[in-house]
Amino acid sequence: MAGRRQPRRLDRNIAYFDEPPERRPPITEVGPLAWVRANLFGSPLDTALTLLAALFLVAVCSFLLNWSIGTGNWYSIIFNLRLFLVGRVEAFMDPRITFLFLFIAVLAGVNFAAWSRIHLRLWTILAGVLLSLFVIPWLIASAIPLPPTWLAAGQREVTSGSITARPLERIAFIAGAEEEVAFRLVRPADDAELAQLTSFSDVMTNTLRNAAANRLGSAGRLATIERELAGDRLTGRQRAAHEEELGKTEVPPPVHSTYEVSAYPVLLTLLSGETGEEIFSRSLAPGEELRQTLPRDGWYVLEKRVADSDDSIALLRASGLYPIFDRSFIREGERAFQYMRATDRLLVEGGRPRDAGGADLPMLGIIDHQYRGERPLADFLRLMLGPFLGQLNLGLTLFVAFMAAAYAAAQWLRRRDREQEAPLRRVRRSAVWLWLVTIPLAFLLIAGFGEGGVLRASDPQLWGGLLLTLVLTVVALVAAFPIGILLALGRRSALPVVSAASTLYIEVFRGVPLITLLFMSMLLVQFVLPGLGGPDNAPYRVMVALILFSAAYLAEDVRGGLQSLPPGQVEAARALGLPAWRITLHITLPQALRAVIPAMVGQFISLFKDTSLVTIVGLIDLTGVANLIASQTEFQGLRRETYIFIAILYFIFSSVMSNVSRRIEASGSGAARA
Amino acid sequence: MATAGNDPLSQGTTISQMDEEPIIICRDMNKWFGEFHVLRDINVSVAPQEVVVIIGPSGSGKSTLIRCINRLEEHQEGQIIVDGREMGHDVRNIAAIRREIGMVFQQFNLFPHLTAIQNITLAPIRVRHRPRAEVENDAMQLLERVGIPEQAHKYPGQLSGGQQQRVAIARALAMEPKIMLFDEPTSALDPEMIKEVLDVMKELALTGMTMLVVTHEMGFAREVADRVLFMDEGRIVEQGEPEHFFERAQHPRTKLFLSQIL
Repeated sequence: MAGRRQPRRLDRNIAYFDEPPERRPPITEVGPLAWVRANLFGSPLDTALTLLAALFLVAVCSFLLNWSIGTGNWYSIIFNLRLFLVGRVEAFMDPRITFLFLFIAVLAGVNFAAWSRIHLRLWTILAGVLLSLFVIPWLIASAIPLPPTWLAAGQREVTSGSITARPLERIAFIAGAEEEVAFRLVRPADDAELAQLTSFSDVMTNTLRNAAANRLGSAGRLATIERELAGDRLTGRQRAAHEEELGKTEVPPPVHSTYEVSAYPVLLTLLSGETGEEIFSRSLAPGEELRQTLPRDGWYVLEKRVADSDDSIALLRASGLYPIFDRSFIREGERAFQYMRATDRLLVEGGRPRDAGGADLPMLGIIDHQYRGERPLADFLRLMLGPFLGQLNLGLTLFVAFMAAAYAAAQWLRRRDREQEAPLRRVRRSAVWLWLVTIPLAFLLIAGFGEGGVLRASDPQLWGGLLLTLVLTVVALVAAFPIGILLALGRRSALPVVSAASTLYIEVFRGVPLITLLFMSMLLVQFVLPGLGGPDNAPYRVMVALILFSAAYLAEDVRGGLQSLPPGQVEAARALGLPAWRITLHITLPQALRAVIPAMVGQFISLFKDTSLVTIVGLIDLTGVANLIASQTEFQGLRRETYIFIAILYFIFSSVMSNVSRRIEASGSGAARA
Repeated sequence: MATAGNDPLSQGTTISQMDEEPIIICRDMNKWFGEFHVLRDINVSVAPQEVVVIIGPSGSGKSTLIRCINRLEEHQEGQIIVDGREMGHDVRNIAAIRREIGMVFQQFNLFPHLTAIQNITLAPIRVRHRPRAEVENDAMQLLERVGIPEQAHKYPGQLSGGQQQRVAIARALAMEPKIMLFDEPTSALDPEMIKEVLDVMKELALTGMTMLVVTHEMGFAREVADRVLFMDEGRIVEQGEPEHFFERAQHPRTKLFLSQIL
């Protein structure tokens, strides 16, 4: 004690009356700035990775965007939207599928009301999006004029590379009443102007354009070589190579002067396609413009000739004439022809003009009159985006409207029951009932039965696109679910025979690739189920394979859930005297299934994506449609656009599913409520 | 009957209830887990309304013994007779015996996907096939008896450990059993919750329920038990009335055990 040093006491009494005010933390510590600092630039490595990722993202996005706007032929999507959605189903299916679509909207609305909420803000956003789907196409259509169509006239052939083209003297096109057509004879000042022609153009104009571009390319190269030879920075070998190239490179005379482009007036005659009656016949001088309002819907024929020269090519900038898609199909035993204008889907049935010999006149078809050159943004919006959005708006609006109506009705029901102990009980009960009704209803509407009537049987072979993809997924899952549960219980059974059989089944089906099963099912199912033979029933045979396949995987999911249950659960149930089947029904299965909801949704999503394999056995599902389009004449070989589109569709559906699964998990009904 | 008098284990103890016919009889019972001999020559009889507390070090076979009585474990030799029925392989007999026995577990083992009241009403509705309204009414009374009527519509995950165990007791009682088995009912509880569960058990003992309790709560054994059984290495080493047992234990193993925990 004696050695211990006494601390010096600071025995002043202090009271602090100036309370420090409460302050917000520095801006670098909260809010988006802090988030960015902490998550993107936390450390030097972090910063490097962030910058690298950003660079990569910008590069990929800008490439994709440039390609989409400038080059991609999105007509392959716009004109095949129906094929993508429902395949080639009969026309009588349309009201049935629409009904099912709206029924699902109602189902979604009631389910949101029963188990979740859609806040007013989300409804506002949805309404805004839908409104914009109407407003944006309208704005685009009214603000941006349609690009012109370039047509050439003349009696002379034009050669560029291996292509030789001769202008068509007469060309048929379709137009509507009261529409105005306009023509102007354009005289390009030089080849550069010619090479920069974009928009729809006939083969002849395109050949001229290519010839001009090639000549400019050669001239440019020659200039480079000459400049480098004049300098003194080349090695001897490079100099020799350059001199050799110089000897080979030949720059042809300017294209526009060779073909005397638009040097002479052009004689234009417009005839009615049906009657052959002349609407006008005029000579058009360079720089002059001709306008004419058309009397009626239907076919017209334009005759164009250069009057005073056989060597001159006339270049016409036309508006009001746009490329045509043509389709033929069998209707009531006869071949019918439909012609549709690319820019606005104006439709004309048959009546294609013929020449004196009875052959079809050449028409302004989309194949020979494609959009050439790099598309500017305005043309992308006017020709691609606007029409595409215009096709979506009505369907989506109907869907959201029905969903909102069902949601509102359910909310009303809840408000009426709010005095009761569980105000949502009635809403939830109706949601469950709707689910139970959905599956048989969908089957009835899609498959149908009998020969006549509204619900007559449809041809399964014609099911396709998203419809087939969803049908296969849902059928496989719904049918596989009970089988999977039985297999899971069987595998855990105390009876060795049952457990061995279940294990064998599960291991065999998990051990064979789905694609093999699909091929086998196409060939083998009919031996077991003779009713499913024949090409018509291919979708049903595929369903069998998908059901058997997913049952095995589901069984493993469910078994995982059963195994994760603590043994005390079964003991407690047994101690209460519950018989074994009641223990399974009331205690183990409900808990196991809740525990494996995420795994089952994962299974559902992968099944949804795996259905794309049915393409290989010849079904036209979403992926099949993408391939099918590549074989259409107009879109020969175009795969990029269609694959991007179906990738987006697959992604939207998968992410909706995983979103729902996340909501189920978050709501707590997913995990056992321990 | 004749068994009561001849029961070798009632020798040396004077238990008044033994005059009646025992409701549980274990005779020369043996059980093995694989090669391991967990229960050796168990001979026990329990009279109706008797409260028997089983104590002993862990691994001594206490839990296994009571789990054999409602056939959560299967014994391999000897007899177990509950309420006049012998436990054998006859499934109907097992079901009938289980209906007479309620059990409370260390880990509560409530069904997490059902609310408290659904936990209680499940078995009466599904096993006894009684009308739902009546069962729910009874269940509310049971919840009042264990002191948590306001928790009826909560899920087990929303209840404290003590509340869960009381629901578990109510669940067992809902089957109106003649016998209650308690397998370390307070071992998984926080200290402040042990009392609320023990109070319910005491109240139950006072109403004359036949109870077999495996526990480490010596206070409870002293206060409530009619008889205390001490087990070690699968044997019943010593038994007696609590005053006798805790004050004048005879077997050295019992003395050692008591000296370690008291």
